[in-house]
Amino acid sequence: MLYEFHTKQTLKTPRSVHATYLLTGKKRSSEHSNGVGPHDGDDTVMRSSPFMSSLPEPKNTPERLVTKTSIVLVREEELQKTKAEFEEITSIHIYSLEPGPIENLNLLAVCNQEVATNYASGDPLEHWRVYGSIQNPYIKRRTTKYNPAIAKSAPKVTAKPTAAAHVAKEEKKEAPSAAARTESTSEDSKSGPSTPQPGPKASLKRSDSKTKAKKDTSAGDLFKSFAKTKPKAKEAEESKDEDEAMQGMSEDEGDADDEPTIKFDEEKATAARKAREEREQKLKEMMEADVDMPDAPADEEKDSQDAPIDKEPPSKPAESEAAVTVQGGRRRGRRRVMKKKKVKDEDGYLVTKEEAVWESFSEDEPEPKKVKPTPKTTATKGKKTGGKSQGSIASFFKKA
Amino acid sequence: MVSKDGDLLRGEPFEDPASVSSRNASAYRPLHTFELPKGPEKHYQQQFADMYFLRLAQLKKAVKQKAHEAWDEFELAGDKAKFVERVLDVRQGELCWVVGTVYMEMTLKPNVLDDISKEHWIAAPPPRETYVSPSGTDDMMLEDESGRLRVTGDSLNSHYVTGCILAALGTEQADGSFQVIATQYADLPRQPQRWEAEDSAFTVAKKPIPKREKSGKLALVSGLDITGTEDDDLILDLLMEYLTGEASGPPDQSSASNISRLVIAGNSLSNASPILSREEFNVKKGAKKNYGYDASSYNATPAEKFDAFLAEILSTLPVTLLPGENDPANVALPQQPLHPALFPLCRAYANPPAVSNESLEGLDSVTNPWEADVEGWRVLGTGGQTVDDLLKYVDGVQPLEVMEMMLRWRCLAPTAPDTLWCYPFQDDDPLILRECPHIYFAGNREKFETNVVEGPAGQQVLIVGVPKFSKTGQIVLVDMETLEVELVEVGVVQPGS
Repeated sequence: MLYEFHTKQTLKTPRSVHATYLLTGKKRSSEHSNGVGPHDGDDTVMRSSPFMSSLPEPKNTPERLVTKTSIVLVREEELQKTKAEFEEITSIHIYSLEPGPIENLNLLAVCNQEVATNYASGDPLEHWRVYGSIQNPYIKRRTTKYNPAIAKSAPKVTAKPTAAAHVAKEEKKEAPSAAARTESTSEDSKSGPSTPQPGPKASLKRSDSKTKAKKDTSAGDLFKSFAKTKPKAKEAEESKDEDEAMQGMSEDEGDADDEPTIKFDEEKATAARKAREEREQKLKEMMEADVDMPDAPADEEKDSQDAPIDKEPPSKPAESEAAVTVQGGRRRGRRRVMKKKKVKDEDGYLVTKEEAVWESFSEDEPEPKKVKPTPKTTATKGKKTGGKSQGSIASFFKKA
Repeated sequence: MVSKDGDLLRGEPFEDPASVSSRNASAYRPLHTFELPKGPEKHYQQQFADMYFLRLAQLKKAVKQKAHEAWDEFELAGDKAKFVERVLDVRQGELCWVVGTVYMEMTLKPNVLDDISKEHWIAAPPPRETYVSPSGTDDMMLEDESGRLRVTGDSLNSHYVTGCILAALGTEQADGSFQVIATQYADLPRQPQRWEAEDSAFTVAKKPIPKREKSGKLALVSGLDITGTEDDDLILDLLMEYLTGEASGPPDQSSASNISRLVIAGNSLSNASPILSREEFNVKKGAKKNYGYDASSYNATPAEKFDAFLAEILSTLPVTLLPGENDPANVALPQQPLHPALFPLCRAYANPPAVSNESLEGLDSVTNPWEADVEGWRVLGTGGQTVDDLLKYVDGVQPLEVMEMMLRWRCLAPTAPDTLWCYPFQDDDPLILRECPHIYFAGNREKFETNVVEGPAGQQVLIVGVPKFSKTGQIVLVDMETLEVELVEVGVVQPGS
């Protein structure tokens, strides 16, 4: 189907569509022999012991002929040259189409990532129906109680528009006829090629609605339908940048959207953007807090390895600026405790020091020791502050 | 030139794509030979001497038997060779043979005593390319419980390494060294029949042996070296699409559908080892000190990408995952399975650790080395560290020969614990080969190599050196019916080339 499209478009306007091909076959055996030749030269050195000959092993066994199949991705410019290298080509198909020649083939990988992030929902064991991959009826997949992606609510809102935008973008790019070409195509070519999946399968892989549209209508009709979607696609383009940032941040599950509608909801998008900004802001705060907090009190410490406990996974948004948060009914935070530490000094003596270290805790741990947070104290013979009543841990951190 | 079936460059009419046949089940029975005890049962206080003692004790019988067969009739100038029990009992001028453990005294070899005396070393010295000193002053010793004997002789040809068990025939010279005429080693152990374990289980259960389907292929890949940058994305996508059967045309898809299991032999991630290299350490030391968790120092992208890559494959193909040198597992052999927490997406395909330590269909994260019955054949594989380390002891020897010798010595990691990190086994050393595998592979080789070696009792072992995927783009397919090997290469023609 992609080939059909490609040929038609090239007939209409040459060079308007650019293709990459995937070749499979056997290459000429020039490099064959040196790839597979364990038995060259004096390989018998290991068995040079005279008694080795008792072994029934045939020496100098002829090289095992190993069939070698090559799968090569090639741009249309290099296609002929590469084809010539092959002795036999067992299959060839278009891997992707794009509006202009791409310089960096790595961009093609972005499409797969988009598909993976946007269509992550659904049962992966059913993917073969949609994508035409090989089915394995024996694979078992258990449903985990804990699913990291579902917990996030913010990205979920954005999932739909992202998917829609993605499809709209794709469709538009697939119709880069003279009429449909806009200024944004240059941007498109930067953002990646249009078809994320190998050629013949591509239609299978995409949503059903689209496949049907493609099948049923002639090329002219297609453009009409694309023209309709175009303005919307533009909107999608605008929010695309942020979308991509999002995909990097979260492995959101997307939505159970096997038929992504082209309708693009402006309100939804703004709401989503807002939510996203908030989230980003929060994340930033968290990151800052995360880096700075352990830094402050620990300046005098000799080695960061002495305080391994205060490493906390960054993904938990718990330790934001307020050092105590309540999450899922459980309180988490950090506290400062005095730790004994043995250090070897210049003279080789062991010196035991007490130092203040930050430690993370959650509620199921015992209440923190009552330590008065006196910043910049290395060897305070502390722990005398127990007399003061300490209401809650939150108040403790307010003081700090 | 292009076969008609596979040429998909055709226009209308479009027929419905022929459905690709589904995969066969993968008969898979992992053996947990190399699993270490968990938690408090795992100790590191033991001495490594026990390992050498065990190795000698367990292999001595086999080596002795081989030597008896070979040398009982041996006569030199009217002298009959006689067996001497202990190394120290060798008398000067007497033709005799002894069994002992080889120890190589090499000036360039890292010495554990140096490590202890130089307590303040922070980073390890740079890893050596080879331990063979150019001046040729390396000595070879043969030792057992009683003592050590310096051995010399042309027949050694410096192709033995520390830790292998050897019988040596010769005489002691005036200078106290043992002049060796010939050597013997244990050679391949017994090889189980195909389907032996499964069949005997059926017999015990008094069930008829079921008729088995034709076996598929086993795909071996190693050294994916996922860096997390964009550079390796495309080639990994191509590999994934090939394995899932999304790429290429019907003829190749149907051959891809024959693959019934993928084995990843180490180094899936690049640079994820918990031990820093010397260079990295220096960089880190020079950098500003930052206490606590440093968000910039840990990059989760490679692991995430690997997870996503595996998850795609897992929906259609069961995967066995061995850790390797660069992977975030423990560094001492046997490396224990990669933790499921690394794979949030793939975890769903594996049994939870609380339920079972193996997943027959899905992601099986296993040890390195690893042993299993796949399609009835005994398969043994490593991430390749043992081969790399052994190659440092010898000069001008091919990796395949090293692998063969390891089998013949019946020792999977002879150089552990001398120059290869290893768990201090106390009562049993799983690194001693008890049963001869049918397929033995080592990951992370520079190039693809394969060979078949035969044992004295008709054993046949297919040895495969699995190339680094990141360098060669190659994966190895082993036909589990005929044990034939083929190679699949994935590549990208760079623009302008």
